[in-house]
Amino acid sequence: MKQQGKDIGLCLCKMCRQLNSTELTHCQRCQAELHIRDYSSLQKSWALLITAAILLVPANIYPITILTNQGQVRHDTIFSGILHLVNSDMLPIAMIVFTASILVPWIKIIGLSIYLCAISFDIPISKKKLMVGFHAIEWIGRWSMLDLFVISITVALVNMGQLLDAKPAPAATAFALVILLTQLAAKVLDTRLLWDRLEPQDDTN
Amino acid sequence: MHENAAENSITLCRSCDLAIRKRALPSGVRALCPRCSTALYDTPYCSVNGMLALCITALVFYFPANFLPVLEIHFLGSIRTTTVFQGAFAVFDQGYWLVGLAVLTAAVVGPGLLLLSILAQILIVKWGLNSVFWRKSLKQLLKFHGALSQLSMLEIYVISFLVSSFQLSDFSDIYFGMGTFCFTMLFLVTLFLQREYHLEHMWTLLEGHC
Repeated sequence: MKQQGKDIGLCLCKMCRQLNSTELTHCQRCQAELHIRDYSSLQKSWALLITAAILLVPANIYPITILTNQGQVRHDTIFSGILHLVNSDMLPIAMIVFTASILVPWIKIIGLSIYLCAISFDIPISKKKLMVGFHAIEWIGRWSMLDLFVISITVALVNMGQLLDAKPAPAATAFALVILLTQLAAKVLDTRLLWDRLEPQDDTN
Repeated sequence: MHENAAENSITLCRSCDLAIRKRALPSGVRALCPRCSTALYDTPYCSVNGMLALCITALVFYFPANFLPVLEIHFLGSIRTTTVFQGAFAVFDQGYWLVGLAVLTAAVVGPGLLLLSILAQILIVKWGLNSVFWRKSLKQLLKFHGALSQLSMLEIYVISFLVSSFQLSDFSDIYFGMGTFCFTMLFLVTLFLQREYHLEHMWTLLEGHC
């Protein structure tokens, strides 16, 4: 009973979600190119994801801010910044920052690689769970930007020389790239591939 | 080509390509894909005048939100303020242009373009501008709408005011400025505007007014 669009000769435009016949090469409503399945998207997504995973290392080991407080210079990595928040009794804020800048990037990279593995290597994981996870990743991914916003506000506000001064440090660029690349990796992927590949093995999931 | 009636009643899930028969929905209800629970469609209701009102309100708040001080620091007698716009440029000036660009796009340029795009779309629809030029522009605006709405991250910026004010309160006194209020209002109005706005409905309007 369950029919896919490509079996009945229909294809959804990725741009405007107009229903098109598979005979057409371009959408009849918005003239965007139509793909019944975009197989190259899998490779693109892998490439972006692996690059992001590599950049996650410098993002975490290099300092992300340099804070000068009355002559004392402190180099803070993402993690040591959070530890400092915990030590100064700001647990709720520490939890927000921890979620946004450590948990979310890791969940995104691990989750996406599980998802891509399931497509690439035909691993029989419940497709429904994978898809729910994918939507969650798409939604939560943007929240990593929180750390960059906080840095930009702090840097603009706190510039009083030796007394109190905040500056961004190299990890900020790496972290920005991690966010950008993981978001792109999720965006570029044609999720319909998952539902094609696993179909013969487990029909119920 | 398929029959027109069949095309109207069948839709495909954009995530898993399942063919689904469309049913009429009561208002405020969303149809989910039975196989992968992706949101499929909801009742296409949007009031053009309501959206126009929200859009103009948001644009009124836009400039004070970005160019009035959002945070104020009182430190040993000196007072420093910053705006959202300066925040992006401060990191840019330190040589971290990618970070600056990301902040500028997500907090200033993205929301601005989104609001302008919605305003232009509403005006084209409302005034019934039917010439080829306007129809083409509307089509382009609709095509870029998805990307623009993903680029604007007002909600995250609002949270980041709170986080940075708490972080800095460790060192000195922090006060919110007029910009904070305007930015929060900009966020709320844009939120309601985006709840009201339905891309799918705008596409049918484009088809409708040829």
